[in-house]
Amino acid sequence: MTSTTSSVTVPVTYDDKSVRGFIFFSVFWGLIGMLVGLLAALQLSFPGLNFDLPWLTFSRIRPLHTNAVVFALVGNMMFAGIYYSTQRLLKTRMASDLLSKVHLWGWQLIVVAAAVTLPLGITQSKEYAELEWPIDLMVVVVWVAFAVNFFWTLAIRNERNIYVAIWFYIATILTVAMLYIVNNLALPIAGTKSYGIFAGGQDALTQWWYGHNAVAFFLTTPILGIMYYFLPKAAERPVYSYRLSIVHFWGLVFIYIWAGPHHLLYTALPVWAQSLGMLFSLMLWAPSWGGMLNGLLTLRGAWHKVRTDPVLKFFVAGVTFYGMSTFEGPLLSIKSVNALGHYTDWIIAHVHGGALGWNGFMAAGMFYWLVPRLFGTQLHSRGLADFHFWIGTFGILLYMVAMWVGGVTHGLMWRAENPDGGLTYPQWAEVIEAVLPMYMLRSIGGTLYLLGWGLMIYNLLATVRGRQPVAVTVTVPKLESTALPSSARLIFSTPIAISVLGCVAGVLFGLGNLALSTVMLVFLLMLVVWAGFLMYHSTGTGKHVWHQMIEGRPLAFSILTMLAVMVGGIVQLVPGLVLEKKVPLTASGEYAVAPYTPLELEGRDVYVREGCYVCHSQMIRPFRSEFLRYGEPSRLEESMWDHPFQWGSKRTGPDLARVGGKYGDDWHYRHMLNPRDLVGASNMPAYPWLRDAKVDTARTSTKLAAMRRLGVPYKAEEIQGAAGALLEQGRRIAEGLAAKGLPLAADSELTALIAFLQRLGKNAVGQN
Amino acid sequence: MTQQDQVRDHDFDGIREFDNRLPNWWLWSFYLACIFSVIYWVHYHVLRTGAAPLQEYAMEMKAADERAAAELARSPVDDASLLALAQDAAAVAEGRKVFMTPGQCVTCHKEDGGGLVGPNLTDNAWIHGGSPMAIHKTISKGVPEKGMQAWEALLGPAKVRQVTAFVLTLKGKNAPNGKAPEGKVE
Repeated sequence: MTSTTSSVTVPVTYDDKSVRGFIFFSVFWGLIGMLVGLLAALQLSFPGLNFDLPWLTFSRIRPLHTNAVVFALVGNMMFAGIYYSTQRLLKTRMASDLLSKVHLWGWQLIVVAAAVTLPLGITQSKEYAELEWPIDLMVVVVWVAFAVNFFWTLAIRNERNIYVAIWFYIATILTVAMLYIVNNLALPIAGTKSYGIFAGGQDALTQWWYGHNAVAFFLTTPILGIMYYFLPKAAERPVYSYRLSIVHFWGLVFIYIWAGPHHLLYTALPVWAQSLGMLFSLMLWAPSWGGMLNGLLTLRGAWHKVRTDPVLKFFVAGVTFYGMSTFEGPLLSIKSVNALGHYTDWIIAHVHGGALGWNGFMAAGMFYWLVPRLFGTQLHSRGLADFHFWIGTFGILLYMVAMWVGGVTHGLMWRAENPDGGLTYPQWAEVIEAVLPMYMLRSIGGTLYLLGWGLMIYNLLATVRGRQPVAVTVTVPKLESTALPSSARLIFSTPIAISVLGCVAGVLFGLGNLALSTVMLVFLLMLVVWAGFLMYHSTGTGKHVWHQMIEGRPLAFSILTMLAVMVGGIVQLVPGLVLEKKVPLTASGEYAVAPYTPLELEGRDVYVREGCYVCHSQMIRPFRSEFLRYGEPSRLEESMWDHPFQWGSKRTGPDLARVGGKYGDDWHYRHMLNPRDLVGASNMPAYPWLRDAKVDTARTSTKLAAMRRLGVPYKAEEIQGAAGALLEQGRRIAEGLAAKGLPLAADSELTALIAFLQRLGKNAVGQN
Repeated sequence: MTQQDQVRDHDFDGIREFDNRLPNWWLWSFYLACIFSVIYWVHYHVLRTGAAPLQEYAMEMKAADERAAAELARSPVDDASLLALAQDAAAVAEGRKVFMTPGQCVTCHKEDGGGLVGPNLTDNAWIHGGSPMAIHKTISKGVPEKGMQAWEALLGPAKVRQVTAFVLTLKGKNAPNGKAPEGKVE
């Protein structure tokens, strides 16, 4: 290896002010996010805690909780870790103090904007992508500032090769940008409202390509990078295996992207995409565990320190929870397991294992290690940190066990059939009542965890009280020229040629033609043998030559990472975009699935604003038990005009895909005003404000016009006469209700919502 | 394992790395997942010897329909059998349980059958017919436009018969403070 550092040295002062800022906000927003989560959890047991206030209602604050934890707690924690470790791993200050400031304060502005708009019901209704378009634009601007700052720092680094932590940061920055932009593509119709450009199944696929990989590239890869820096630092031990880092990094970034459709198993999504989602989830298990192994095995020879050091305790538990979640994920992706677990609280257990166990504990470990160092002191109280660890661990376990039991109970009760063929538990209320004790236990577990977080805040404040932050200046050898081959030469190389051939052959194998698949399978085997032979000759001798060269060429490394994460998305998303949409027609040549009427469309917007999708799916799976409870399995074309799709992912309440006509308008009227008037055990919030709120009919034709631009076949006269048609349909509903002594305005939001609900499942022309 | 714990000749901010071999069990868990995936794909998407979800659903439905048809052939539903069931105390008690379950009949027809949103079941007037088979049909298929749900799928055939038997016992009881009669007197 030729030396590329000169004897010239330069002084470097690290920017730790940004790090301190990000830590402060992570801790603070974490507290808020978890408090909101606790309130939401309690609302499921005590619906009165919704207080009949729109902005405090479960379906609006649950997205606030998830966004706060993902983007505010973990986001800020990730940025703190990245800023601190990147500067030290690259031996240079962040390239631009201005961009660091834009990043720090811009991100907090986004968090505040989210905290204001989500309770107001300003939402795109796509999970973890709820924020409306102006905030999306802010996110893009701030993320670009972050990316420019980061890659600029890479360009001025004083360390030739980039360490594995940096690999993960690169993957994070590039992939999140790609996911976020594609999934949030939307047509704005007002400052606070837009319609996504994708519809139905295509939208579902795009959303979960995003949603799943938000977990991968926002909650996993950056935290793995942080683990690779802070864990060996805290343990004072070398990382277990460099070659494991290489293998699991590339395995993770390539395979993760493909796993999104496991959120859509047994839906109307084409089966090939579902199978890809399941299989890539199974193949993802080992690469995920590679990270856990490298973390835990790094502690060989340092286990005695775990007993006394709270930092290592948090890291060990965090990495173990990571291992648990990444085992549970593939398990839940197996179709038959998913049939039981999907839509239930099992998924809630799973994500909290990840969020509280992996993200929360890695955050706590990092803060306990970092904050004293930033202020040149010792942690105020190790005992208190230990107590935080134990109370937090107990809280998570209580939470997860409660939700596992609750989830499996739900899954089993939903599918239970009597010997004669009816449902054993036909009433939703029976199902809710069965898990109410579990909801209470979950709230207790969450409270314990939150208590631990509070102790951490106190401990950290006591640590820094009365102290000044330390300014760290080091003298490092300046990196001058490098004798490495150019990025282009590194990219057009044998390993990449083999990978590209492998991807092409894999896709051709997957097309399902017997002859082609056979040939491709043989070809793939030959590639594997070839690759194995080459690897034996490089890694087998401990040289890793090619990979070490791309570690010295961050541009090549970044391009290859980008290519690796693009393959899965292209294979899954593009077919649906380029293949002609199948539009079933009736005998008379009309669309078999008619677009929503103006009133139904307005009702749908109310449905989206209130967050009904948080608890109600609109996707009946092809099981007899679901047929008995809800009706025929949902078909792809039924949601083809749905911008955005409303398939949902959780059934705290029943599926609504075919609720139209099941109850009378009067039932819905009473039920929306107070669900418990009709279903005593219901834990659904009441939505009394809908009755007096009026649809803005001046905007209805704008909405129809926007839908037409997105491909929904509204005719020009329908768009022009939208307001009139809306009032006409509203009057019919209002008259029917008035006859039953229930007064309601024709243009009330409740009228619109009832019209939408009564339309669900009544898609064919003529049935409406 | 000759290279166990050989530390690499470079460190990053003081962090050093071993270059240990990948654990064999870990490698095999990956290889097996890949091999399984190839076999799965060939079975379901190349040879198509495995049933797709909708095919599985069709089979599940067909089997259930055949069971239901066999059961119906074994004990047909008609006026006589329903009237006989109404005399069977055990069946009526079961039917009563179904009726009284919150969210089911009781919600609209009241505990004593006197009617709330739904009509009075204890008088002699019937909107959709008062014969045992007519009542059975109203319960199984529902009258969605009037707010009466179809209960056949949710409850299953046995419970529908039992609750029909129970409703037959209400006939003519004239619950106090019941709703005014609706429909045709039979």
